[in-house]
Amino acid sequence: MKPTKLFSVFMMSVFMLTSVVACSGGSTGTSGTKGPSASPTENSAEKYAVTKPIKIEWWHAIESQYQPTVDKVVSDFKSKNPNIDVEAIYQGSYADLNNKLVAAQAAGTTLPALAISNTPYVAQYGEAELCETLDPYIKATGFDIKDFGAGLVKSSSYDEKLIALPFQISTQIMFYNKDMADAEGIKIPTKWSEMDEFMKKASKVNNGKTDRYATVIPGWDQWYFEPFFLNNGVKIVNSDNKSTDLNSDKALNIANQIKKWHQEGTAFFAYGKDASANMRQSFLDGKAFSVIHTTSLYDMYAKSAKFKVGMAWLPGGDTNYSEIGGNVLLIPKKNSQEVKNAAWAFMSYLTSKDVNMVWATDTGYMPTRNSVTKTDAAKEFLKTKPTFQVVFDNLDKINPRIQHPAYSQLAKTWMESLAKATIENQDMKASMDNAKKLIDEILADK
Amino acid sequence: MEPVLENEKKIELKKSKISNIKVEEFKDFLTVLPALAFFGVFIYYPLAQLFNISFTNWNLIKDSYKYVGLKNYQWLYNGSGKAELINSLRVTFIYTLSEVTITLVGGMLLALLFGKMTRKYAFMRSIVFMPKYVGMSTAAVVYAWILNGKYGILNYVLNIFGIPSVDWLTQQSTALIGVLFLTSWRVVGYAMIIYLSAMQGISRDYYEAASLDGATKVQELRYITIPLLSPTTLFLFVTTFIASMKVFQSIDVMTGGGPYESTNVMVYWIYNLAFVDFRVDRAAVTSILFFIILLVCTILTMKVSDKSVNYDS
Amino acid sequence: MDNYANSKGSRKALSIFRDIIAIAVTLIMLFPIYWMIVSSFKTSDELLQAVPTLWPKVFNWQNYPNALKMAPFGKYFFNTIVMTAGIMVFQMLVGILAAYGFSKGKFRFKNTLFIVVLGALMVPIQVTFVPIYVMMARLDWINTFKALIIPEAVSAYNIFMLRQAFMSVDNSYCEAAKVDGMGRLGIIFKILTPMCKPTLITMGLLTFIGGWNSYFWPKMVTSRPEMRTIAIGVYELKRSFAGLETMNTNEIMAGAFMAILPIVVIFMMAQKYLLTGFSKAAMK
Repeated sequence: MKPTKLFSVFMMSVFMLTSVVACSGGSTGTSGTKGPSASPTENSAEKYAVTKPIKIEWWHAIESQYQPTVDKVVSDFKSKNPNIDVEAIYQGSYADLNNKLVAAQAAGTTLPALAISNTPYVAQYGEAELCETLDPYIKATGFDIKDFGAGLVKSSSYDEKLIALPFQISTQIMFYNKDMADAEGIKIPTKWSEMDEFMKKASKVNNGKTDRYATVIPGWDQWYFEPFFLNNGVKIVNSDNKSTDLNSDKALNIANQIKKWHQEGTAFFAYGKDASANMRQSFLDGKAFSVIHTTSLYDMYAKSAKFKVGMAWLPGGDTNYSEIGGNVLLIPKKNSQEVKNAAWAFMSYLTSKDVNMVWATDTGYMPTRNSVTKTDAAKEFLKTKPTFQVVFDNLDKINPRIQHPAYSQLAKTWMESLAKATIENQDMKASMDNAKKLIDEILADK
Repeated sequence: MEPVLENEKKIELKKSKISNIKVEEFKDFLTVLPALAFFGVFIYYPLAQLFNISFTNWNLIKDSYKYVGLKNYQWLYNGSGKAELINSLRVTFIYTLSEVTITLVGGMLLALLFGKMTRKYAFMRSIVFMPKYVGMSTAAVVYAWILNGKYGILNYVLNIFGIPSVDWLTQQSTALIGVLFLTSWRVVGYAMIIYLSAMQGISRDYYEAASLDGATKVQELRYITIPLLSPTTLFLFVTTFIASMKVFQSIDVMTGGGPYESTNVMVYWIYNLAFVDFRVDRAAVTSILFFIILLVCTILTMKVSDKSVNYDS
Repeated sequence: MDNYANSKGSRKALSIFRDIIAIAVTLIMLFPIYWMIVSSFKTSDELLQAVPTLWPKVFNWQNYPNALKMAPFGKYFFNTIVMTAGIMVFQMLVGILAAYGFSKGKFRFKNTLFIVVLGALMVPIQVTFVPIYVMMARLDWINTFKALIIPEAVSAYNIFMLRQAFMSVDNSYCEAAKVDGMGRLGIIFKILTPMCKPTLITMGLLTFIGGWNSYFWPKMVTSRPEMRTIAIGVYELKRSFAGLETMNTNEIMAGAFMAILPIVVIFMMAQKYLLTGFSKAAMK
């Protein structure tokens, strides 16, 4: 039951008002939402085949400097599938794209055939049943889903059903100043227990003033420091799905260490709207030995830095998993079967082996398929970006994000409590106890 | 016509007068009907929908929802929403009252300062008004940069005068001030133009009479200009008040509601409830409350102003 | 303003003092725009320097053509003009009528209904855009001018501004006109409107600026680039890596500056009519 049932009464007044309008123009949606349904056949592959020429829209958030890549991929697809005419449209940032998708979902008739979505939204969309379940398509067309890392697949699923395909993926990584490391013999820590020593060795603090930070930890997005907690035994969301352990001793241990480093000036906990730009600048200016950021920014750092940039896997604890970031592709459920079939054809193309490497090379995201990393194209890729070897080596250590529908609220509360205690030197335990109270309420409310 | 009207004719005249009045009233009403109909469709209908949603647990993207009675109202007035509500209202009111004061006082001062009708002054007025037509998103980007704690030019200039750098947008105490810099810059030129164009409408006779009586400029200001500008002041007060309460874009670009919710104004909070937390039921309750608060404030203002505003008619 | 001072000397001093303050204020107000323009000529490297430079070391004109290349600004320009013109026409017409009704008109519930109009200002677009979007979708108006114009066709703000102005016009003018046999529309368009010309021009200018810079709603309702507007276009210039950091603020500033140029021109022209001195107001 949609809330817009009363609408018909007001349609009258709207029509009255608008009978004067002369302006018209522009096209109406061409996602072909009206039309005869395909006749079901026994052969399931045929059920998902595209039988008539069709035009579909692909909504994405890929910025204009990558337009040539997008155009090329789309036209390659067209030449292989003349029946399907794909229009790739830039819709703004991830947040804009989310807003438009949500509004289109509410309206029901203006949804695109295919859309990109930032990974944190997957749980929400899954719970709301916005996405078409892909398992039948995969089975019918023999799509090689096993070629994707288990973590990637899990992160595109909700409730055991696959609702999206991983598309442009990134993960947390530590970028460091390779020239500085070589010159001073600084070793990148692989275990959390080595962090203290690393902080002392890689930083330069004089009389309370920091000339150089060992590292900068982003505090504006919990995605960056989550692995430190997860790898050291903190669950963040307990198995009952209704409470958090962020004020446990294990969690407090990690949090207090971060606070210590920030307070003594060996590391910097970056928080605030412009923190990301400042962090980048500090690194480039040599004021930070390393920064913790996302693999998708490698191109930017490599290009802008006047020194060699290295990538290192984040130091782990009991485990050394990282988390998935970036975006996935999804097919809205509300469209007609024809549209969804065409969307599937395009989606499987975009995530196929050949195209996978194209995205990685051109846009700085990682290849997502295991087999791809063994191809010649991958070897070429590594020749130009040898630092990516560390990522290729660890592809199966990339875990899905935590899939709770209320996770974004939890994250916000957690971030603020952690930042406040760390930066303003307040009692961590009190801050986290308070956070736990708020978060438990948030989690339970779902 | 007969010089004396019979009673019957009198009654007939009265009746036609009354129906005339009714027709006139109806015609006057017709002039406002299009506007009302428009608002009915595009404002009050969505508001009614929101009212409906506030009693449900809809999350904006699901196709179904349940009615949960007053659960969301409890959340806002008694539950975890209460603390956030108080914070948000406090932030929004502080911001709004500062903004309104700056607008009215600054606008008036600038109108007096730049009131000279010379070419040079006309040029300067255009520049002072310019901030208004730079789009808000662009202006916010420029300001975020000017106010940047490490690389911003404001701190650079302060340092030259020996004043230490301030982390404008990343400190709880100064974040709101940083945003006020931006919005004040945009709005004072606009208020100036509004006041100036209203000042054109004040008949010169008043000033001539006053100077004949020996009044000083300050007295002219106090007893002629400001009172006769009171309709404009009312207009600026109400519209700036409402617009400030609705601030969103600048907060979104410059502070993201932070640090630590110190700039979490009402509309930003509502937006996040709906599109980040996907709790449109909570967003609905909060929107309704927000609307009521604004309505009450505005009605109070209008009632108070009825006594003090001089319409000169 | 009249200069009523005691002697010619102090009058001159006051005048110079006034000039100095005026120039100082102007420069301060100008600075962020100056910054914007200067940045639009810098190269990316110079832009991101730790110590900001007040004048570009190298004049990089490339930002402007680069910006123009990134999006179909010609089409955006056309769309913006049509949309803004449409909005202005509707807002003026409906606004003038309603302002008359709420100022000089007499009918029951007039004041209450005026509050209803003001109430329209109190509901932010971020809250109403989904229901209105759904309405537009049902009518199949998404990606058309209708969706860009109609939801913005009436402005409570304009009605309020005009109502205040009309209320300041002495009733005797209207009475006189009525005696002369003028009807309602005549009074509105031949008496009230001409007498409030400065207000109307201000209103028109503000409506134009509002439409030109309008961003949130057009963005939501144009999923296809052919209907997009300039404000959206400037936003599309953002070049970031993985949606995470804006790298090319210089190009964005170039785009933003080009976007405001038409307004600058129009305002310069409007100023002539806007502030023409005291004479117009008193119509005996």
